[in-house]
Amino acid sequence: MRFALRIWRQEDRGAEGRFERYEVSDIDPEASFLEMLDVLNERLVSDGERAIAFDSDCREGICGACSLTIDGTPHGPRQVTTCQVFMRDFPDGAELTVEPFRSSSFPVLRDLVTDRSALDRIVEAGGYVSVGTGPKPEPNAVPVHPEVQEAAMDAAICIGCGACVAACPNGAAMLFTGAKVTHLNLLPQGEPEADHRTRAMVRQMDDEGFGGCTNHGECQVVCPQEISIKVIGELNRDYRKAMVHKLRARRGSIKPQ
Amino acid sequence: MPKHDVLVIGAGLAGQRAALAAAEQGVSVGIVSKVHPVRSHSNAAQGGINAALEEDDSWESHAFDTIKGSDYLGDQDAIEVMCREAPDELLRLEHIGVTFHRDEAGRLGPRAFGGASAARTYYVADITGQAIMHVLYEQMMKFADRIDRYEEWFVTALVIADDGDCAGAVTRNISDGSMEVFEAKSVILATGGHGQMYRPTTNALICTGDGMALAYRAGAELMDMEMIQYHPTTLAGRGFLITEGARGEGAQLLNARGERFMERYAPNKMELASRDVVSRAEQTEIDEGRGFENGTVALDITVVPRKRIHEALREIVLVGRDFAGVDITREPIHIKPGNHYAMGGVKTDTQGQTNIAGLYAAGEVACVSVHGGNRLGANSLLDTLIFGRRAGEDAARRGKRLKFKRASKAALADEQARIAAILDRERGSGRRISELRAELGATMDQHLAVFRDEQGMATALDVVRRLKHEAKTAYIDDRGAVFNQDVLGALELGFMLDCAECACVAGLHRKESRGAHYRTDYPERNDAEWLKHIDLSLDTEGPEITYSDVTITQWEPAERTY
Repeated sequence: MRFALRIWRQEDRGAEGRFERYEVSDIDPEASFLEMLDVLNERLVSDGERAIAFDSDCREGICGACSLTIDGTPHGPRQVTTCQVFMRDFPDGAELTVEPFRSSSFPVLRDLVTDRSALDRIVEAGGYVSVGTGPKPEPNAVPVHPEVQEAAMDAAICIGCGACVAACPNGAAMLFTGAKVTHLNLLPQGEPEADHRTRAMVRQMDDEGFGGCTNHGECQVVCPQEISIKVIGELNRDYRKAMVHKLRARRGSIKPQ
Repeated sequence: MPKHDVLVIGAGLAGQRAALAAAEQGVSVGIVSKVHPVRSHSNAAQGGINAALEEDDSWESHAFDTIKGSDYLGDQDAIEVMCREAPDELLRLEHIGVTFHRDEAGRLGPRAFGGASAARTYYVADITGQAIMHVLYEQMMKFADRIDRYEEWFVTALVIADDGDCAGAVTRNISDGSMEVFEAKSVILATGGHGQMYRPTTNALICTGDGMALAYRAGAELMDMEMIQYHPTTLAGRGFLITEGARGEGAQLLNARGERFMERYAPNKMELASRDVVSRAEQTEIDEGRGFENGTVALDITVVPRKRIHEALREIVLVGRDFAGVDITREPIHIKPGNHYAMGGVKTDTQGQTNIAGLYAAGEVACVSVHGGNRLGANSLLDTLIFGRRAGEDAARRGKRLKFKRASKAALADEQARIAAILDRERGSGRRISELRAELGATMDQHLAVFRDEQGMATALDVVRRLKHEAKTAYIDDRGAVFNQDVLGALELGFMLDCAECACVAGLHRKESRGAHYRTDYPERNDAEWLKHIDLSLDTEGPEITYSDVTITQWEPAERTY
C-alpha cells in the first residue's frame, strides 16, 4: 500500500513545530501503524535524516506508551491503542495527518512524544490506599461481591495513555481521574479514604490546568480500554459527597477524614 | 549528583516492590527506569499469581510443583521461601486495591494453571500484571517524599568503588542526553529479561538484558543462562502471547488432523503440563508434519463457555481479533511455541544479594534460582514481588548501617567517552544496528529454541561473536542529544550480545537435557553429572565457567511425568 503522511516535527520542548510531508510505498497492509513508521524511520535514517521520535513499547495494546493523533483522532480510527491500528484500516493512497496528543497539559517533548506527567501528579495527590489492615487477616474476612469487583476492575483497567484528555474539547482529565477514583472508592479497602482521595485528586486535576467535563463524551469514544463515561458520574457524585461531608464537618456535625 | 541509600534500576513489579519495601524502612530511594514505570513489561503478565491460599492447599505442594517444574534445577531453599511467603504477599496486594477475581460468594477465586496440582492462581481477568503494577505505582506515589523517580533515564554502567562494593550507576537522561553518576549505598537491579535477543518474542522492545549485562561487566556471576523458556501459545509471526489461563479455563490443543495430541505426551495433565513439555509436544507435531502449513498447531478456546471467555479472557479476545483476525469464541486460533522468559540471570541468594557487596538483583533479571530449568506459569509475578521485597528490605538495612562510598568520577568519564565514540563513528563504516539486531534475533530463534544440538549452538555462538565484532563499528545516524534512540539501540545491542554469548556458551556446555534446555544429541537428563548450576563470570576472552550445587532440602530428584 501507499500513503502520504503529514507528520508533526518539533525539535524539543518549546521549539516551534511544523508539519512535514512524507510518502511511503510498499507498505504491508498487515503492518501496524507503528511498524509503518518504523519503515519510514529506517528510510529517513539511511538518507541521513533524523528519525521521527514517538513513544512505543509493548506493541500489543497494554502498556499505554503509544500516543499518536491520526487524522484528528487520538490513537486513530478504531478505539484501540495506536500499535493496534493496522494499515489495512485505511484506504490505499490515503493522506494521513499524524500529530502528538494535543493538550496544553501535555507539552510536546519532541515530534510525537509528549510529557504526560500531569496524570502522575493527579495520582500522587491521593490516588492510593494507605490505611493498614493489620497483621494476617483472614483472606475472605470481607467478601467482595463479584459485581463490585468487576465494576472496580472495569475502572482499574485504565492504562493511563491520556487519549481521553487529547480527545476532549475541554482538555479534561475527568475520565482518567474518574477511573482512578472509581476503582479505589468502590472497594472496601479504598472506602475509608474516599473523601480525601476524591477532593485531593480533583484539586490536583484543576491545578494542572485540565478543563472540566461538559458531557461531550469524546473521551469514552477513544478510550482503548473502553472505560465508560459513567466513571465521571461516579467522580462527580463522590466529589459532591466529599464536599458535603467537609461542609458538615466545618459546622461540627461530623468528624472530617 | 543524585544520592540515595538505595538505588533501584528498573521499575516493573520487582523494582517497584523493592522501592516500596526500602521506603517503608525509612531510607531514601531512587528508582530509575528507561521508560515510564507503568509502561514496564510486567504489564504483559496476563494469567495470574500463584499462592497456596485455599484451605486444602499447602505451601509444600506449591513448592513441590515448582521444583518438579524446574526439572530439579531450582534451589529448594529459595523455592521454600517464595512459596511460604506467597499468601501474605497476595493478601497485601488485595489490601492495597488489586481487584482479584471473586466468586459468587464474594470470595477470592483462583484458576487452574500449568504444572500445578491445585488451582492456586489468583488473577485479574487476563490483565493481572497491569492491575498489580498500577496499584504498586500508586503506592510509590504515596511515598513521594522518600522515593525519587527518574523516568526515562538509561543506565549505561554500574559504579564499583575501590574496595569492590557497588556504589552507584552511570546514567544518561534520555530526554536531553546529559550523563550523571547516581551514588548509592546499595543498587538493586530489576531490569527484567533479555527476550529481545530473540525474534519473534513475547517480550516488549525494552527487554534487552540490560541488568544481566551490567552486572556481568561489573564482575557479578550469571547462572542458568542456557535456560530460556518458549511459551507454548504465541501467535505466529509477531509473537503475541495467548495466556496459559486459556488452557487453565479448558482450551485444548489440536494438530492439523484435529487430534488432541497432548494425550500422547502428558496423558494426565494434558494441556496443563509444564511449559517446556507442552512446547516440545507442539514442536514435535509441527516438525513431524502434523501441524498446519504455516508451522503452527491450533488452540481451541471455543470449548470454554462464551460468557466465561468474555469474563476471564477478555484481552485475548482483543488480541485474537486485532492481531490474528480471529474470533476466539467461534474458531480455533493458530499458535506455536515462542520465546518468552529467561530462567537464568544474575546469581543471587534469597535476599537478592549478588557476589558483589551492595549489588542486588530481583525479578527476571535475577536467578535465585526458583525457576531452575523451567518456570511454572504465574510464578514469575510471585518471584518479582517476593524477591523484590526481600532485596529492598535487605538493601535498606544495609543503607542504615553504612556510609556512602566515594563513587569515582572516572566511571562517568569512561562512559561519556564510550558514548561519544559511538556517536562519532563514520557513516557507512560498518553495518546498521537494526541489521545486527535482526540477525541476532533470527539466529537465536533458530538455534537456541525448543530443540537444540551441538552444531546449532556452535553456529549461534560463532554468529554472536561475529556480531560482537561488527557491533564495534556499527554506525548510527542520530548524533543529537534529545531523545536519541539510536545511541540507546547501540548500547542495548551490546547488552543483548553479552547475554546471547552467555546463553550459547552455557548451552553448549550442558551436555544433557533438562527443562527448557532439550538437546537432541543428549536427550536424557543426567543427574549424575549435571545436577548443578553453570555459573558464568566475565574473563578477558568471554565467559568463564564454574559450577555451583543445587540446594536440595526435602525433595530428591525424581523422574518427571505429567
